[in-house]
Amino acid sequence: MKLFATYNRVNLLTTVIVILITGLIYYQVISLILTNQLNKDLEVEEQEILDFVKLNHQLPQVFDSNDQQITFSKPQKTPVKRSFISTYYYNKKEKEPGRGLIMPVNVNGKWYQATISESTVETEDLIKIIFTITIGIILLLITILFFINRFILNRLWQAFYAILSRLSLFNVTNFKEEQIPETTIDEFNQLNEAVEAMSARVRKEYLELKKFTEHAAHELLTPIAIINSKLDTLIQTDNFSKRQSELLSDLYGTVSRLKRLNKAMLLLVKIENGLVEEEHVINLKEMITERLASFQELFLDKELAVSLELESKAIRANNYLIEILLNNILSNAIRHNNFGGKIKVILNQKSLVIQNTGTNLALNNKEIFRRFNKSTESEGSGLGLTIAKQICENYHYQFSYAFYPPFHNFKIDL
Amino acid sequence: MKILIIEDEAGLRESIEEYFTETGNICETANDFHSALNKINLYRYDCIVLDITLPYGNGLEILKSLKENNYSDGVLIISAKNSLDDRLQGLDLGADDYLVKPFHLSELRARVSAVIRRKSFNGNNLLAFNEIKIDLLAKSVKIENNNIKLTKKEYALLLYFLANKGKVVSKNAIAEHLWGDGIDVADNFDFIYSHIKNLRKKLMEAGGSDYIKAVYGMGYKFTA
Repeated sequence: MKLFATYNRVNLLTTVIVILITGLIYYQVISLILTNQLNKDLEVEEQEILDFVKLNHQLPQVFDSNDQQITFSKPQKTPVKRSFISTYYYNKKEKEPGRGLIMPVNVNGKWYQATISESTVETEDLIKIIFTITIGIILLLITILFFINRFILNRLWQAFYAILSRLSLFNVTNFKEEQIPETTIDEFNQLNEAVEAMSARVRKEYLELKKFTEHAAHELLTPIAIINSKLDTLIQTDNFSKRQSELLSDLYGTVSRLKRLNKAMLLLVKIENGLVEEEHVINLKEMITERLASFQELFLDKELAVSLELESKAIRANNYLIEILLNNILSNAIRHNNFGGKIKVILNQKSLVIQNTGTNLALNNKEIFRRFNKSTESEGSGLGLTIAKQICENYHYQFSYAFYPPFHNFKIDL
Repeated sequence: MKILIIEDEAGLRESIEEYFTETGNICETANDFHSALNKINLYRYDCIVLDITLPYGNGLEILKSLKENNYSDGVLIISAKNSLDDRLQGLDLGADDYLVKPFHLSELRARVSAVIRRKSFNGNNLLAFNEIKIDLLAKSVKIENNNIKLTKKEYALLLYFLANKGKVVSKNAIAEHLWGDGIDVADNFDFIYSHIKNLRKKLMEAGGSDYIKAVYGMGYKFTA
């Protein structure tokens, strides 16, 4: 739930409850005051009746007035108890709620019961008005709060949303300085400073790490070159036993793996850094044909059936990178293929698809593009597909994998 | 042939020197910028193997100095930097070839031979080894007037062996030479074996001697 919504909910609920309670208190207090007022009126009337009786020794004549009715009657019990009652006031037209006073009157030793009643219609009206005003205030408050949230809060929180969107778009590899809208709110300024400091730190550490990777890979080149050349020199010395030459052969294999791994790492760093910029128009069909020709012996060696459906398609990219991309996917298609398997290459205006047979299980879509992910029996660097994907990302191509038995399907949307 | 090796890493320099030193070859070395500059100003070489990152200077400066003096020494750059810019810059400045570290000595030797061939034959594009005659321009191979029809890879293999006569060349080096380092397929060397088998067969059928010997399962040797 949004902060606004939560805040609003609490805020509005409290406001409504408080206003309702206030309204109730208002109602109680005002009706008490009004009742008191009526009681006083009735007492004045009582006094008048008593004074009249005292002076004239008879009951006063009863007049119908607009706001008062007085009736005299013989009481069931003598003497009646003096008391205020809620009663009805009979107007000429209708029955209205009223307030009454029952009082004993002694005229020449004879007890009468006098009932004075007054209409309370006006009081009720007053209460109605108060109620309406209360409801009005509630509605007004809700509306005002709504608009405050909608416009003022939204504006206040704009800085926050800007920071948020910047955080969610944060990308260490592709860092952009962005202006956050000016805000006078200290908290947001602090947040912004913290975010800025954090991203600068992350970025710095990332760059250092990347530099380290590059340097490490680079520094390894010389020792590898020396091992390689010493091995080349070593095999020139004569007379190795079978055992020794097997060991040497293994060493050669390992060094060449180390070499490929190292080159792959350097290349990956370079592509990630966007250091390969030079672009040409490439005839993809031509390049694929050329690559396939250079793999010819490998196809024959594994007795792979290669089928092609190539349309002419030109792209703009770096020659070297596209060659590596094709090499990596094709050599995977060969390496992970069965003996006597199939490879299909389909190129049209929209996409390049390379399909190969192989294991009968789908590969894990997430895992295969990850660095150093490879099957245990594979002699590859484990970076081939990572590099291929990185190259595709460089040119905003979508690179995806799917398994349509018996084919493993690698697709590049051009 | 006379070769100068400019390389600061002692291990690598010594290996290269040892690999190139044989009867008929003079091999000199320089281990930093200044000694390299001295040597190129005093002597002429058929080919200079030049490392770019040197103590006290950049190898490209040495290349520039050569070109400014109109010296026609062949130059092969060896560098740990694989950056395309470096490669292009080197070639733009007039280097004859560029080899990225790490490399096989047999590859370096083949490249150096190619550089020297291009420099010294001056239009003569025939290469001969005993009865084998190669027309480098037409890419054709003859033994006693018998034309031998070689595939592209077999032809490349033959030139590679000729450049590395008398040396044991490892299967890895051959694979990398024929398929480049972009291809990771080292799982299986059977295809090299079949290429070499075919090449031997073709050479012998045309009347040539059997020069290519397998060495302990590690590689092959082209012996005179």
